[in-house]
Parts: sequence; structure tokens; C-alpha cells
Amino acid sequence: MIVVPRSVRRLVHATAAVALALVALLSGAPVRAADTLNVYSIWPENWARPMFEEFEKASGIKVNFVRFSSGEALARVIAEKNNPRVDVLFGGPVETFAAGIAEGVFEPYKPPTFGKLPARFRHPDGQWTAIADDPLVFMTNDKFLKEHGLNAPASWNDLLNPAYKNMLQMADARTSGTAVTRIFSVIEVNGRDENKAFDYMKKLRPQVQLYTKSGGGGTLPVGLGQAGAGIFFIVDALDTKAKGYDVTISFPREGIGTSAEAIALIKGAKNPEQAKKLIDWATSPAMQNLFAKYKINFVPAHPDVALEPSLAEVLKGTKIFPIDADYAGANRKRVVDRWVAEVLNP
Amino acid sequence: MSAAGVAPTAVVAGRPSRDIGITLTVAALWLLLALFVVYPLVMLFARMLGMLGGRGSVDFGALLALLTDRNQLRAFWNSLLLAFLVGTVGTLAGFLFAFTATRCRLPGAAVTAIDASVLLPLVSPPFTTAIAMIFSFGPRGLITYGVFGLKGYTVYGLGATLFSEALTYFPIAYLTLRPILTAIDSNIEGMAQSLGASRWRVFRTVTLPLTVPGIANAFLLLFAASLADFATPLILAGNSFPVLPTQAYLQITGLFDLRGGAALSFALLVPALIVFLLQRYWVSRRFYVTITGKGAGQTPFDSVSPGGRIVLIASVISITVVVAYFYALLLYASLVVALGANHTPTLAHYRVIFTDGWNAIRDTLIIAGFSMPLGGLYGILLGYLVTRHRFPGRRTMEAVSMMNYALPGTIVGIAYLIAFNDPPLVLTGTALIIIACYVFRYGPTGIRATVALLQQIDPSLEEASQGLGARSGTTFRRVTLPLIMPAFFAGLGIVFIRSMTAISATIFLVSISWTLITVKILEDITELSLGPAAAFSVLVVVIVFVVVAGISRVLREFRAPGAPGVSLFGG
Repeated sequence: MIVVPRSVRRLVHATAAVALALVALLSGAPVRAADTLNVYSIWPENWARPMFEEFEKASGIKVNFVRFSSGEALARVIAEKNNPRVDVLFGGPVETFAAGIAEGVFEPYKPPTFGKLPARFRHPDGQWTAIADDPLVFMTNDKFLKEHGLNAPASWNDLLNPAYKNMLQMADARTSGTAVTRIFSVIEVNGRDENKAFDYMKKLRPQVQLYTKSGGGGTLPVGLGQAGAGIFFIVDALDTKAKGYDVTISFPREGIGTSAEAIALIKGAKNPEQAKKLIDWATSPAMQNLFAKYKINFVPAHPDVALEPSLAEVLKGTKIFPIDADYAGANRKRVVDRWVAEVLNP
Repeated sequence: MSAAGVAPTAVVAGRPSRDIGITLTVAALWLLLALFVVYPLVMLFARMLGMLGGRGSVDFGALLALLTDRNQLRAFWNSLLLAFLVGTVGTLAGFLFAFTATRCRLPGAAVTAIDASVLLPLVSPPFTTAIAMIFSFGPRGLITYGVFGLKGYTVYGLGATLFSEALTYFPIAYLTLRPILTAIDSNIEGMAQSLGASRWRVFRTVTLPLTVPGIANAFLLLFAASLADFATPLILAGNSFPVLPTQAYLQITGLFDLRGGAALSFALLVPALIVFLLQRYWVSRRFYVTITGKGAGQTPFDSVSPGGRIVLIASVISITVVVAYFYALLLYASLVVALGANHTPTLAHYRVIFTDGWNAIRDTLIIAGFSMPLGGLYGILLGYLVTRHRFPGRRTMEAVSMMNYALPGTIVGIAYLIAFNDPPLVLTGTALIIIACYVFRYGPTGIRATVALLQQIDPSLEEASQGLGARSGTTFRRVTLPLIMPAFFAGLGIVFIRSMTAISATIFLVSISWTLITVKILEDITELSLGPAAAFSVLVVVIVFVVVAGISRVLREFRAPGAPGVSLFGG
């Protein structure tokens, strides 16, 4: 017969005790101090952290934050609508914020800089305000270029070169604002002739190895040479270069689009005063002058902030145009659906 | 227990109504299941149908159009195909490893080596293996291009996803099958052979049938795990092989369509429940008892021919080599400046994770430390009750307990977020919500292991205890518990490992106050910081190994004199 050691019984009792201790110990929510602020950041931690530390130095308000991709951050804000856990949604492309407006999760607020900003850097009611601008670029692996005896692509049509067959990576329009900006760029350079634009995209399809879920998803494969080239936001591309990967950044002579990054106050925020101070600070030169110091390669949204010289050098002589918000807003769903039907899964 | 096996359990089964301990435990488990499985899903369903605010009333036409969309249907069938293949391949590999470890008379050190290599894929956060795959098998992969000189080879698709998922999940099959193979009384096999059966015939007519409940359980667990996995296909499936969990995730995070995403996920429940019912029906027609309590010396049975032994060991070694290669690459990536660009050795990544990443490490350890014993206890209690006691809704309880395991983590995470953000039970922002998620999402592994093991143990052991006057609580503690200890530790181990490595559900549950290593890893990968991501992954592997070694030590302490030996998780 089996003899049960006393130790087994002790284990059972110990487990029960642990269960009780657990309930006692871990059920409390965090205590809210007077001078703290809770934020979901869509900007990666290595850019958001220094910004929030500088803000704490300037205002004495400590920022607690977690970083999520734009989709995850918005899904949380929507799910937490009845009992918001954070006060501010920080960073992320404007179209994420547009989706949030439809869900009614933001509290309109116009910071002091509101009047100084160009119209495309602010929502008319103050649902969001832009803190930066982010143009698209072509990024190519140097070794790939050398192997095929090519120069960095300087036109949209250069990407149709047979050398790029199955070697491009770019974002999926169902999930990425980068991709939507890219598609509207193609429509724009084709004089808003949608059929012509889609003809081009269909010709580009066999060149594409993978449509990635996130906008920057292809940067590492291009850096490693798993893919030859891709179309990314400039921050992601310059970051890849800064990490030590041998890549070249170039622009099509026909022009390429750009998209704004925004900040918004959450409806029902528990610390609205502190939140407004962060929004005031982030939309002013106080924060945007720090981009250069921390090597954050966004183009500042505030007109008084000078472009960092090396970034200005990269952007020199390039043709960059903003995507028309009204046109894109009115046609976005239809264009993305058409892209899925005709380009992604023909 | 099975229909066929019910007859001898009549004594046990007749009692529960009179046994207050059992009634209370059943009630407590139902309460927990209602709170942490049913309630969140109901809330999600209600939100999906627009009954709890959100955008206006629900558009059933649009929902139906989404569910019958050509691409979504294709994704649905792809998911089933992938899950079936992962279940089959993974169970085969798990059986191969378990059989080799228990029947090839390997020295103890070799068994430990097998255990260790099996653990590796199980303990790696999903994104890191996928990155290693891309690094090795892409158009310029270390293996495809570097070794074989293949050009223009594309890694993305069914093959890579299947390979990566089978490699990640086969350890679950191993952990489920090994205690069962160990528990088979070798005298039975020996008797069959002395009656003139060949080794192959013994395997086919004795060993294999006795393992059937375990094989079915392993297949079910792998099928469900693959059906719910979104991270691997997200990186490796590419555009030609969409699967449903990924589509659901994209619907929510990409198109900001919570309703559509939830609807797609609920579609996954159907195949998950069908497989569960099939398995119940199939397994329950068989009767397996090898531990009868009639003590007999175990005569070792020579079940493998020398030739077969070589084949088995060679197969195990080749899989092990593949696994080892992946982890060598991971270790290397954590020790150089930037993998693929600058291979200067450095310890900087480890400095980063122990400074900036310290909070995540501390939080993860606290959460995993609490989830582990609770998950293990939950697994054996529920597994024991549904197998050995008859009470109303027993089958329903078992099915409900599997739901959080079978649903994609994204959905479970969002359901928790919606359910526990408002009164009556506000848990968002606490560690408790993450712990509850882990216990009810990964505890089912322990339940399945317990059920499979108990199906092998003759209830007459427990009847004897009860016949001598012990109450069911005492019988459970003093007779059943020691017998199902391997299942307890299998369940506990899986919960701990998953607490260290899971991301799909908990990415929605981490908060300002509680964050996790896996979320940091994903963050690092987003930022192209492969070094810190690799360093975190190596740390996770090391921690899990230390804890698992600790568990086996404890297990040895608890071992009853004369009971079969117990090593890592095993029986």
C-alpha cells in the first residue's frame, strides 16, 4: 500500500495558505499621488522615457506609462472607457486618433499652441493635437544594392526592377497607418487617378515578399538583408541605420506622403489638470526642441522648432507632401477594401 | 471516468451527496469558473452585441458578412489544418521523446538531458523563436543562404509556422505522455512478452492502447494550443496562409473592430469544443488500469530491440540538435552588439535588462510565483473531481474549464479587461487579474494530465481507503494525491513556464503598476533592440531551469518510500 508522507499534507496546507496570502496581498490597485499622471504611449519606450523624464524635471509631475502599439493602445482605451486607467494617449499616427473619436474616448482640449499650428496638425474641435510629423522613405539594404549593381531607388518605378522580385517588405493596410499613408501617396503621385494607382500597386505585388503587421515590421529584415528594400516612416528607417545596420535611405522624385503624430486627453481622466499640462508641454517647442538631443528623428510639428541639421540634410531636396485629411478620411475604408481585394488577395 | 470504468467506482460515486467536503469544493470551483471563465466571456459577448454601450446597435448583416467573407473562411480552414498538423506532429514527437526516455534504459544523465532540451522550446517567449527562424531560414538566412546557398527562398508560410509551433508545443505532449508511460506496470509488458508476443506486438497491443488516453489528451492540448496561437503565425505565416486567431487580432488592433474580432474568435470555439467532445467520447470507451494497488515488484522489461533503440535515440538527438541550435543563436545574439551587423562581444544588453528592465523581472517573478501553486492545485482538484466523483454538471465543468485555454489569448485578455474594469469586481491594474488569467488559461494542462493519469489508476485503491472509514478529503490527500503528484507538477510547471513566457492575453492586462518580461521583449523587438530581447529571453530560460530543478528536488523530498522515481515533471 502507499504510505503518504506527512510532508505531502504539509504541502497542501502550505498551498492553501499561499492562496489566502495572495488575495490579501495583491488585490489593491495602485495609489494615486497628487502629482502623477498615467499615460499610454504609442511611441517606443526609448523615445517616450526621456520625454517624460524631461517633463518631470520641468513640471514636477511624474509620468507613469506603458508602451503599446497603436492598435493595442486604442483597444485598451476603448475597453476601459467606463473607468479610464490613464489620462493621456501619447504619440501614434493621427488615424488611430480618428478611430478613437468615433468611439467617443477623447475629451476635446485646445492647448495654448493650438492657434499657431497649421490646420493639418490639429483636430478642429481639439480632440487631438499633433506633436510631430513623420514622412515615408525608401530604405534599402546596402549589400543588396551592391550585389545587384543598383543605386538606391529614386522613383516609385525603380521598385518594379526585377532585382526586387520577392525582396520587398512593407506594411499591411489592414493594420498599419504606415501602409495607408503609402497607398495614399501612390494615389497622390498618380494625380488621384485611382485606377492608375492600383495598376502600379498590382505590378508591385510580386515584388513584395511580406506585408508586415506593423509599420516598422520590415526594418529588421531589410537591415539583416532578408529583404532588399521597403517603405517605412523616417523615424524607423533612421533608427535602423543608427543601430548599425548598413542601409540607405532615399526618396522617390515623384514625391512621397507624410503623416502626423498626435496626443489626446482621455475622457473621464482621473488627473485632468496634470494631463493638460503634459499636452501643453508636448505640443510646444519645450518638448519638440528636445527631439534632436535624444536623436528622435521626427519632424517637429510646431512651426517655431528648427529641424535638426542632420535630419534636414536627409530631407534636403526631397518632395514630401501631406496626405489630404479630408480626401483620405472620406475614401480610406473604400481604398483599403479595394487594396485587400485587388492587391493583397487577388 | 469512462463509462466502462464506472462499474468499479460505484462505491465512490454513490457517496458525494453525503460528503460535505466534496460538495463545498465543487461549489467553490463552480464559483471560480463562473467568475473567471464564464463572466468575462459573457461580458465580451454582450459588448459584441452592443448591449453595453459602444457604438450604437449591432449590425448583424455586417457581422455575418465578416464571418462568411472568403478570406475569413479560408483562414478558418487554414486554422483547422494547422491545428490538426501541429497536434499530429507534436504528439508524435512528444511520444517519441517520452518513449525513448522511459523505455530505452538510458542513463540518468541522458534522461536529464532529454528533459532539458524538451524544456527549451517550451520556455522561450514566442517572438524570439520566430525571429531565430527568420534569421536562419530567410532569403539570406544562416542556413538557407549561408549553408546551402539557396537564393530567393521564402520562409513565410504553412511550413515555417507548423515547424515553429510543433517545436514549441511538443513538450506539452511529452509532459503529458511521460508520466503515463512510466506508470504502465512493466510486468504487464513483460507478461505479454513471456506469452510469446514480439516486442512490436507488445508495443502495438499493450503499450500503445494503454497510452491512448494520454495520446488523445496530448493531441487535444496541442490542437487547442495551435488554434489559439496568434504570435507564431503573426510573424511566420506571411500573406498566403492567414489563420483565424491572427485575423481576429488584426481585426481588433488593426481595424479597431472589437466586435468583429470577438465574433471571429468565437468561431474558433466551435472546433475546439468539437475536438474536446470527440476526445471525451473516444477515450471514454476504453478502460485502462495498471496501478491496481496489488503490490508487485517491477521487473524491468526490455521493450526495445537494439536496432530500434538506435533509431529512437538518433531521432531524439537530431531534434535536440535543432533545438540547441536555436538557443545557441539566442545566446549569441544576447552577447554581441547587434546580431547581423556588429558582432563585437558585449555584456551591455544584460546591464540594460537589470537596470531599465528590473521592474518587469520582479513583477514577472512575483506573478509567476503566485500563479504556479494555484494553477497546479486548480488542475489536480478539478481533474480529480470530474474523473472520480459524480455530480450534476460534471461534464459541463470539464468543458468550461477548457474554454480559456482554447480561445485565442487576445480574446481572453480583452474579455478580462472589459469584465474586470467595472464594478462589481474591479481588478484591472492589479497583479491578481494577470494571475487569474494564467491560472485559468494554463491550469487546464494540469487538468488534462490529472484526468489521463487517473484513468490509469484503479479506483479500488480509493475504495479501500473509504471502506476503512476515511473521508473523501483524507482519501484524496493520502491516497490519490501521491498517485497524481506527477500530474500536479506537470500542471504547476506548465503554469509557471507560461507565466514566464505568455504574451497574447496578458499584453492587455499589464498596467502601469504591473508589467511583464514578455511585454518588454516585444517592446524591444519593436525597437529593433534584438540584444536586450535576447538577453531577456536567456534570463527567462535560466530562471525556468532553476525553478524546474528546484521543483524536482522538492518532488524527490515528497517521494514516498518505494514509489517509482520521479525526475523533472515526470512520473
